[in-house]
Amino acid sequence: MFATSTQRSFWMFKDENDVSNARLSANIKYISSRGRNMTAEERELHFLNVTEEKILIMSYEYQLRDFCRKFLPPMPRYVIGTALHYLKRFYVNNSVMDYPPKEILVTCVYLACKVEEFNVSMDQFVGNLKGDREKAASIILNNELLLMQQLDYQLTVHNPFRPLEGLMIDMKTRFPTFSDPERLRSGIDEFLEQVFYTDAILIYSPSQISLAAIIHSASTSKENVDEYITKILFSEDQKRLLNLIEAVKKIRVMVRNVQTPHRDVIKALEKKLQLCCNPDNNSESPAFKKRMKQSFDDEESFEDGQYPDANTDQVRSMLMGMSEMGKI
Amino acid sequence: MDGNDQTCPKCKTTKYRNPAMILMVNACGHALCESCVELIFAKGSAACPECKCALRRQNFRIQLFEDPAVDKEVDIRKRILKEFNKRQEDFSTLREYNDYLEEVENIIFNLVFDVDSTNTNKMIDNYKKENKDITMKNRNRQSQEEIELEELLEAEKAQQSEKANSYVNAELEEKKQKHKAREKLIDELMFSDADAKSIVASHVQATAALAKEQPKAAAQAGGPVVKSSKFSSGIQIGLRQNTSSFLPIPKQQDLPLFHYSAPVFDYNGPSPPAIEVLGKLKYFANIRAANATERAGGYTEALSCCRALQEAMGGLFYIPQSGHKTAVAASAEETDDMETA
Repeated sequence: MFATSTQRSFWMFKDENDVSNARLSANIKYISSRGRNMTAEERELHFLNVTEEKILIMSYEYQLRDFCRKFLPPMPRYVIGTALHYLKRFYVNNSVMDYPPKEILVTCVYLACKVEEFNVSMDQFVGNLKGDREKAASIILNNELLLMQQLDYQLTVHNPFRPLEGLMIDMKTRFPTFSDPERLRSGIDEFLEQVFYTDAILIYSPSQISLAAIIHSASTSKENVDEYITKILFSEDQKRLLNLIEAVKKIRVMVRNVQTPHRDVIKALEKKLQLCCNPDNNSESPAFKKRMKQSFDDEESFEDGQYPDANTDQVRSMLMGMSEMGKI
Repeated sequence: MDGNDQTCPKCKTTKYRNPAMILMVNACGHALCESCVELIFAKGSAACPECKCALRRQNFRIQLFEDPAVDKEVDIRKRILKEFNKRQEDFSTLREYNDYLEEVENIIFNLVFDVDSTNTNKMIDNYKKENKDITMKNRNRQSQEEIELEELLEAEKAQQSEKANSYVNAELEEKKQKHKAREKLIDELMFSDADAKSIVASHVQATAALAKEQPKAAAQAGGPVVKSSKFSSGIQIGLRQNTSSFLPIPKQQDLPLFHYSAPVFDYNGPSPPAIEVLGKLKYFANIRAANATERAGGYTEALSCCRALQEAMGGLFYIPQSGHKTAVAASAEETDDMETA
């Protein structure tokens, strides 16, 4: 249940500021470690700031959804929800510049398929991707453990879909004056899609989000479900009712403020990202490839029975990697 | 009496020369020595030298009895009894059981002496078809008993080997002791200042006392490294499906009685209806009914209904709070700053 879950204990924030602060600290950490010798203005030019990062993440969330929509076999929406959750959580703790979002994106989806028991083999999975499949497979497998580590290995995610079903059933049973709540479905589905682009899932519980969806959909169709909430759900606890109303209001505001980012803006940001991203983690960069090759060669020399002493390439490449972080 | 007297009908001489030669007997009951068997089947074609019936390599078995005819019969008997394995318990009267046994003997006789073989084979097939399941059951029962017998045998063997070991060990111990005592005596005579005779006397007394203790110790030690056949709780190791003995019930100390307290769930929301009352409250009208396969597997609509309702109600009272690690660390830092400032 949500009340006893790790999601509630470790991955919830107080409000939007809280979430932004966390992202800000990740951003600052990255910039300070990479841009040690720059002035403030140079840094501003070179690196992405928090708002830009946020826009980028949102564009990647849209990309994730598109990828999942076209996925074969058809992916159930709770898998998409879990994948989006993972993506959000990952980039709350880490900066976009640190790990390339494209790779993390596919890894999130792959991990979500596994966790939500939506069985897809690796071959089927990369069959849905364009481009080099083997490379994609190796990227995903390399990043999987990293992703899990950054999620603190807390992989169970509670999505709003099952609470939604529960509320529907409850409404049909205990609130028969409202005829056919199924009419509200399309509005609800749209709302839930949009809510995943906000930070609401990191602030409010999934049942509150699904209730907000019902209320929103009802109000757009000019219906009123207030009676259900006041009389039936919260008949005993009037004070908590206020709390819930507050929460629902905030969620609806957040969803209303969702703006699809512009293509040009995204393109510009991506260009900037290419310049300031961490080459050690970017599988395209030559430094990464060199490092991989080094470690591979070292493995081979181990097989010959030669063990490295202090001055071998492995140590050198480690030092190189570390010095790159301080380089301009 | 033994292999020296027997001749292989094919190569005749070889058997005399080599008493270690083994005779193989075939399906028609004639014997052939091993090298002849290899010879015959190396050529490819195979016909028994005495009776010219077609033979296959597989049909040759190592002879256990002097007379190959006996071997043939033993073989046929084994084969038949695999199929006809009913026991006395399967029949209601003794007369029926005896009739069955006589029938089996008839069949075997016919097959051994090649009397009316076609009919006999037909009878065998009929019997097989009719009694397939009883045969299988008996076969399983037999294998169980075999396993149990084997285990018993193994346990006995283990015990015996342990006893032997313990005896050997005890003897070694004795020898060591004696050796030590003698050395002690010599040392004392060399180094102590007491009277030689008194030392020897005390020594003799000591050895007499030791000799009395030895049998007691041997009885007690009895197997220092015993491969136990039981676990420490008294359960026997190995398959034992029909243990007749139960473990003794441990003495009950005065502990407080176990009291069942139902687990309490904090839903952090309005409490959902319990699963038992869902039907009465007419929730099932609004959920897809379980189809026959699902119900057979133990799934009922109540389960998914209850789960959906629990998830819906759970967390509705939730108030946003910071559980995330960075947020927690940040708030801790803030309080620190506030304190120092």
